[in-house]
Amino acid sequence: MTILKLNVLNLDKSEYKGGKSSLCPGCGHDQVSNVIIQAAWENGLPPEGIAKMSGIGCSSKTPAYFLGKSHGFNTVHGRMPSVTTGANMINKDLSFIAVSGDGDTASIGIGQFIHAIRRNIDMVYIIENNGVYGLTKGQYSATVEKGSKKKKGAINEQNPIDLCAMALNLGCSFVARSFSGSKKQLTALLRAAMSHKGMAIIDVISPCVTFANNDESYRSYNYVKENDEVLHLVDYISHFSPLEEIDIPEGQYREIELFDGSKIVLETIGSSHDTSNIVSALRAVHEAESQNKHVTGLLYYNGEMPTTTDALGLTGTPLSQLSEEEGRPTFESLNLINNRLRGL
Amino acid sequence: MKSEVNNFIINIATANGTGSQSSNLILLHSMFEMGIPVSGKNLFPSNISGLPTWFIIRASESGYQAPGDKTNIQILMNKDTWEKDIAKIEPGAIIIYNENVKLPVEREDCKIFSMPMTKMARGIAPKFAKLMANMYYVGGIAHILGIKSEDIEKSVSSQFKGKDRAIEMNMRAIREGISYAAEHWGNETTFSAERRDKDPDTYLIEGNEASALGSIYGGVNMLAWYPITPSSSVAEGIIKWLPELRTAKDGGTTCAVIQAEDELAAVGMVLGAGWAGGRGMTCTSGPGISLMSEFIGLSYFAEVPGVIWDVNRVGPSTGLPTRTQQGDLSMLYEASHGDTQHIVLIPGNVDECFEFGWRAFDYAERYQTMVFGFSDLDLGMNRWPTTGFVYPDSPMDRGKVIHTQKQLDAIENYGRYRDVDGDGIAYRTLPGSGIDPILYRGTGHDEDGIYSEEPDVYHKNMARLRKKIEGSRDVLPAPILREEEIKEVGIVFYGSMEYTITEIDDILEQSGLSVSTCRVRALPYHSDLEGFIDRHETNIVLEMNRDGQLYGILRRELPVKLLSKLHSLAYSDGMPPRARLYADKILQLLEGL
Ligand SMILES: Cc1ncc(C[n+]2csc(CCOP(=O)(O)OP(=O)(O)O)c2C)c(N)n1
Ligand code: SF4
Ligand SMILES: [Mg+2]
Repeated sequence: MTILKLNVLNLDKSEYKGGKSSLCPGCGHDQVSNVIIQAAWENGLPPEGIAKMSGIGCSSKTPAYFLGKSHGFNTVHGRMPSVTTGANMINKDLSFIAVSGDGDTASIGIGQFIHAIRRNIDMVYIIENNGVYGLTKGQYSATVEKGSKKKKGAINEQNPIDLCAMALNLGCSFVARSFSGSKKQLTALLRAAMSHKGMAIIDVISPCVTFANNDESYRSYNYVKENDEVLHLVDYISHFSPLEEIDIPEGQYREIELFDGSKIVLETIGSSHDTSNIVSALRAVHEAESQNKHVTGLLYYNGEMPTTTDALGLTGTPLSQLSEEEGRPTFESLNLINNRLRGL
Repeated sequence: MKSEVNNFIINIATANGTGSQSSNLILLHSMFEMGIPVSGKNLFPSNISGLPTWFIIRASESGYQAPGDKTNIQILMNKDTWEKDIAKIEPGAIIIYNENVKLPVEREDCKIFSMPMTKMARGIAPKFAKLMANMYYVGGIAHILGIKSEDIEKSVSSQFKGKDRAIEMNMRAIREGISYAAEHWGNETTFSAERRDKDPDTYLIEGNEASALGSIYGGVNMLAWYPITPSSSVAEGIIKWLPELRTAKDGGTTCAVIQAEDELAAVGMVLGAGWAGGRGMTCTSGPGISLMSEFIGLSYFAEVPGVIWDVNRVGPSTGLPTRTQQGDLSMLYEASHGDTQHIVLIPGNVDECFEFGWRAFDYAERYQTMVFGFSDLDLGMNRWPTTGFVYPDSPMDRGKVIHTQKQLDAIENYGRYRDVDGDGIAYRTLPGSGIDPILYRGTGHDEDGIYSEEPDVYHKNMARLRKKIEGSRDVLPAPILREEEIKEVGIVFYGSMEYTITEIDDILEQSGLSVSTCRVRALPYHSDLEGFIDRHETNIVLEMNRDGQLYGILRRELPVKLLSKLHSLAYSDGMPPRARLYADKILQLLEGL
């Protein structure tokens, strides 16, 4: 006998699922999709009240793979924030869940990212950060560590952009970092982000199976590539299984080996961290960075900041639901204006 | 000598940022209120202070609105353009200059009058003498034309609304100017301004403010914009009128306004608004359209409504930012990569700026696509007469939107992109409704909106999109035809050229030609245009750009048998069209045929 587990809306988790993923097997992004499904279900969000937003990239394709009962918009590269902003103005009651990549956000879309934060748009903004442009086959992104080297390319000599530090500096009302393999932590963070009113940013380290940062360690992959020219790319994508699930207790850290053999160190921010203190959040990010670690968890949170729809003083009804009378001024009003302009 | 009544052209040369705009508008409005048919044109530089500015006022009993080819009264205030301005004046003209500039005016063939404008202004407002000096030429011109100070008072009051002290000081300056001229210049009667019966309904307004009001009556729900000359005043007009016109019962606004970080974002917000079921718009000029192109393509392909007002300035690139042109037409019609085609509404006067302002949203939602309003600096930033805007004559057209499951179930074989009605327009559902949710995308999609790279699916979808926009041809505003009995020459034109066409037409007819005109008001063009071209022996497409952009579009789309009758006259130098110049070029072209 199977036991059906339902959420507060009496919905089964399957109501939150999407289409079949076409990403490389083992891609971190698929893990994030599963967590989105889990968190939305656990939070009891009505699927019809959610709007899924994304830009362009492997990461931005994922809205097709979760929340199939929600409308979505897979927009253009780097400019999902503006589309979300416009939709938010018209229907402030929608719950916006947006997915972007590090190329989509930290390069082409950095301007829109910054300004969406400044406006405190009411949305969850997930960056599936893999240090590369997955969809265009592995070029470095602007979040890749300095010193990263590709076999055929130059060493990356540029400093990375830390999207959390940047968001903190811009006064973002909710800033968190996590890892695609940290299902428990990511679910908790996403659930919190979904309940937050305002811009909630979660920078999720989400490794790319196929084009990880360091080509050198990608031995088998390159071997195949160099020895068999006629092979099409999809033919030699290794079938990794997703990274194991990890759960690092607060204040502790652990080394994790990625698909390409490289290692990252994740540290969960301690329970003593004051999430209302931007300065200590920034210190935590920069201290971890100086020790070649990534600090994860909820870094900063402020639930009091007005959103753009608050600040603009919009009428109570979402603008998409206004009647014609509410949208078009009266016949008399135009007569009045004509006469005023006539100087009468 | 008998004086020339209500037929003269005044050219006022000043520097930007010296406050001359108030004086110029006071002059223009005073004559307008006297019932004299006048038009004003501001030729301003792309800077805030110091560069040369010319304001041209033309009074014409025939109602001609173009700046005219010849100056009758020249005001000299700007030392930087002094010599050039003097060199341009034709013999016989009247010159009025500010003595305190201390530069010579040596033109024996003209009537020259001077006034110590700055010095006199110092007597009234020592600190603002430079600004106030401009009021003295108002006085000087009033004397020359025989305008009384009482006729000016009303315009001064409305220019400095509520600021009693400013009204008093400026009026004093104007009166002093009139007295000084009367005392020192003697009786000058070459030109005079005479009161006429003014239609009490008529008033002057800028095209941009008309578009702004039209958009508000069209129910705009979101305006996202990034400042750029000459379009900013569309946004500023909307912002100005919203509180009065669009405050809901609960005190909140029914239109969100966002000053975006750039045009990429502004148009993105428009798409977001349209996708969510609202009426979103932006306004910009050529450089902004260039940036917006990718999103415009997304609007076309994913079928998301939106409105963009393009107030054309001179391109390419930054070009001449404060000069006018019709240089964006072909870009708008086909903006973005791949095969696209967009609806372009082309107002030719301020009444149509208002009308197309509200209609644009109806077309955008009906055809689920981006609709352009195409204006230009000349129409948008100068003041033109209207007898009053006309209230929308039809309820809003919100297009094929499904709001309930029942509506959806009533449609056989529904799919977001399936042509169930045979008109190319599919039904859509809105986010938040929970009805048939799909992921909108700019990637290839089938009739249900699912990703697809199938050759047939792509081909069929593109064919449907063409059919959809083609279907708008005879729904969009039809051309305005003014046809002669004898169908000799037909002039096909569009946009702000409307204000010059009568004068061009009159000049051409003086040379014995029979000239009909056809003003195109939208793209894709209406089928009436084909009939017009067919009926006329020779047709000339007249436009303000270098390449003949409408001509190019017509060459591609008109039936081949009409092409031999079609010729292009395209000319652009950044200036508003001067009738004589265009008429001469048309005559030349006809001679060469
Ligand atoms: C205007 C534009 N330029 C370039 C591209 C090509 N492009 C597609 S995805 C992509 C990078 C995506 O990288 P990221 O956002 O990190 O997503 P990932 O695939 O790594 O998840 C690029 C450059 C595009 N689609 N549009
Ligand atoms: S290329 Fe990388 S990011 Fe893209 S689907 Fe494959 S593993 Fe994921
Ligand atoms: Mg990436």
